[in-house]
Amino acid sequence: ATFRSADIHNADDYPTVVAVKYMSDVLEKKSGGKYKIKVFNKGALGTEKETIDQVKIGALDLTRVNISPMNAICQKTQVPTMPFLFHSVEHMRKSLDGPAGEEILKDCEAQGFIGLAFYDSGARSIYAKKPIKTVADVKGLKIRVQQSDLWVSLIGAMGGNATPMPYGEVYTGLKTGLIDAAENNIPSFDTSKHYEAVKFYSKTEHSMAPEMLLMSKVIWDKLPKADQDMIRSAAKESVAVQRKKWDEQEAKSLAVVKAGGAQIVEVDKASFQAVMGPVYDKFIVTPDMKRLVKSIQDTK
Amino acid sequence: MELTVLALSFTLLLIIGVPVAFSIGLASVATILAAGLPVAVVFQKMVGGMQIFSFLAIPFFVFAGELMLYGGIAERIVRFANSLVGHVRGGLGMSNVIGCTLFGGVAGSPLADVSAIGSVMIPLMKKEGYDADYAVNVTTHAALVGAIMPTSHNMIIFTLATSGIASVSVLSLILAGLVPAILLTLCNLGAAYYVAVKRGYPTRGAFPGWGEVMRAFGASLPGLLVVVIILVGILSGAFTATESASIAVAWALFITAVVYRTMSWKNFMTACAKACKTTGVVLLLIGISNAFGYFMALYEVPQLTGELMKSISSEPWVIFFMINVLLFILGTFLDMAATILICTPIFMPIAMQFGMDPVQFGIVMLINCALGLNTPPVGSVQFVGCAIGGISVGQVMRSILPFYSALGICLLLVTYVPAFSMWLPNLITK
Amino acid sequence: MGSASSLCWGRAPRQGKAKNMNFYTKFCAMLSKISLILAVIGLLAVVLCVQWQVIGRYVLNDTPTWAEALALLLVLFVTAFGLAVGVRDAGHIGLESLVVLLPEKWQHRIEILIHGLVGLFGALMVHGGWLWMMAKWNEKKPMMPVPDGIDYLPLVIAGVLIVLFSIEHIIALLRGQVVEPAWN
Ligand code: NA
Ligand code: NA
Repeated sequence: ATFRSADIHNADDYPTVVAVKYMSDVLEKKSGGKYKIKVFNKGALGTEKETIDQVKIGALDLTRVNISPMNAICQKTQVPTMPFLFHSVEHMRKSLDGPAGEEILKDCEAQGFIGLAFYDSGARSIYAKKPIKTVADVKGLKIRVQQSDLWVSLIGAMGGNATPMPYGEVYTGLKTGLIDAAENNIPSFDTSKHYEAVKFYSKTEHSMAPEMLLMSKVIWDKLPKADQDMIRSAAKESVAVQRKKWDEQEAKSLAVVKAGGAQIVEVDKASFQAVMGPVYDKFIVTPDMKRLVKSIQDTK
Repeated sequence: MELTVLALSFTLLLIIGVPVAFSIGLASVATILAAGLPVAVVFQKMVGGMQIFSFLAIPFFVFAGELMLYGGIAERIVRFANSLVGHVRGGLGMSNVIGCTLFGGVAGSPLADVSAIGSVMIPLMKKEGYDADYAVNVTTHAALVGAIMPTSHNMIIFTLATSGIASVSVLSLILAGLVPAILLTLCNLGAAYYVAVKRGYPTRGAFPGWGEVMRAFGASLPGLLVVVIILVGILSGAFTATESASIAVAWALFITAVVYRTMSWKNFMTACAKACKTTGVVLLLIGISNAFGYFMALYEVPQLTGELMKSISSEPWVIFFMINVLLFILGTFLDMAATILICTPIFMPIAMQFGMDPVQFGIVMLINCALGLNTPPVGSVQFVGCAIGGISVGQVMRSILPFYSALGICLLLVTYVPAFSMWLPNLITK
Repeated sequence: MGSASSLCWGRAPRQGKAKNMNFYTKFCAMLSKISLILAVIGLLAVVLCVQWQVIGRYVLNDTPTWAEALALLLVLFVTAFGLAVGVRDAGHIGLESLVVLLPEKWQHRIEILIHGLVGLFGALMVHGGWLWMMAKWNEKKPMMPVPDGIDYLPLVIAGVLIVLFSIEHIIALLRGQVVEPAWN
């Protein structure tokens, strides 16, 4: 059977797209040609939210999404989204590869999703017309956020004016001054050409919300155990490929934005961390979530 | 197999006369059953398609157009156009062209345009001794310009149809439409003059003087300002396209109710009700086309079409010509919004591969769709024009050729000379 | 002017008016009028939401994050009511020129079939909308304290109205009557 997998990224060589294609190769080899995966990128099958719902009812086999749209569906997925939870990329990778990551993936099962893997999405930082050095510089800035309570609350805690806006309007918005800033990882700062509109990328690195690869439980339950294990291990193998590709992409994008005149600004992260208490109070509500946060913080 | 089900059921439903939106919906359901996927996906795509923020600009432009239609803005624009060119040969035809173009600019849809200006101008022209077919052709062709003059809700529909292929900003598209709109207007004026001379229509009255022109301009200015508000609003960064459209609604209401004092309570309610019905009709079509688009992506229709076209020729001009012919044919059967939503994902990738800018493609697409509005079997603008003029579609074909050729020339220029559409957006947004 | 623009949307006007409006026709006329009133209120509210967003951003320097979400939800309701009334007023654009070539009797049968098919799609809308609404009722909508499934409520409402109005059209056709728009 050929499984269908969705991705919203346009580039055919985007790290997550490449990773799922790699997973398909591995799976094909392991199963002796029984299984393959066809990736529909460019958002052909819908938005991330739509593909999640399709996976839930079994209309789609797999989808690769950011963890944010899962937040409303599966509570524990909020944990890796939390601001300043991971202190480095290594810490993030180690935590998600460990028992904490497994527990979060497992938690999606009750909602109809088989969590197969976490992929990297880098660290998100704020870019604006002016450099941001401490949290005081954010005060009153109109910052574009995704339509999500967590992101609104996160920017609000920094003292910014969170402005939800569709991704497609951000370029014009930054260029014309409708908004003062936006936040994203370096590759998105590059591919969206937002660096043409605003020049200062301040490394707040406020969140390392990862990407997820989800499989439909409806489809999954029809497969024999041996085949399920094959799919799981193929997904796990693709993670290393994605990470390698991601690091290359980040280095490449960094060079592009720098050549385009963008300046990378170092930030006093402690000043940001100090104001994040209310965000944790609001979103980390259950004992399980608190335990997960603690265990990630304790991961060395 | 699934694609055959999709194409056959859609064509069959369309031919027996099921409304386009429902034909698409039922064909999608049939296809998804054939594919063995849950029917619920059709309805997910439908709601998803209706729910994109930028789509809010559509009800707003529709609403503003209805307010202007019922609020007496059309009459003032006609008076201004008449003072300017009413005295030349075929003068009423000329003022009709200018009036339609200006009103089409503010009101956003060819249909609102032909209803508003046509119901003032066509009877007037007939009374002055012009033939009904001439009066109708002048009006309906000038009304088409409304589709590419800013503000146009069809442009918003196009920007959304492009998502996932390229990112096209509403602003670039608005700017790209300006020069072709002026070109189209000049072509329309030329055609109107040509037929007037050929049929020996009389001249009437003398030039009323620049004082009168300025007075008439002043009276129509508040209405015309809608376009300026929208353009300045987006260009200055004060508002998004959607916010600008909502301000256009407030402005249209303010002008007609407070400045002109021509908006009665009854007319206001009628305008609101019409706007709601049109919004329902248009957004249903958009939503359900999203389901259609899902199948086209799933079965890779754009790639297949592209490969087929490339197998015929690798010359850009041949490819662009084929695209134009196909768009024109589809446009004669389908409504503008449906053509845009169905054809953009199919033809834009291949046009881009052969070097056409997405913004330029948008204008080519809009002109083709506009032509379809004046072409049987389904030409909604032509229907309305004929209804007002009291003639049949057959009768109107008598003098359509000069107008049609004028539009055709414009289409070719926009297709093969990128500067016509791209010069202004490149100048301002780069 | 009004008649001209309604002409283009609808089928050619026919002779004969519903003289003795039966109870069902009266009921549908009332539903259609209420739907349109609700749609108008919704449309005005959408305009206000977006303007409030502008005011919030510039005057209060605190963008109301719910305004966009609410406008998007309301526009679904405006669409639902508007499109249902469009079905009753025969307002959806279709191809009719080829059916005109058939004999009168067959035209009549095909018109009944068309309304039947539209009604069928309405029923499917109710079914599909209900399914998603239930599936997503426990998820919270971002930026607003309502369930995410509420997005599908308009689909259910529109579907029910379409079924009712299609039945009305079929009855009218069988009796040789015409459904008059309740409010134009
Ligand atoms: Na226009
Ligand atoms: Na046509």
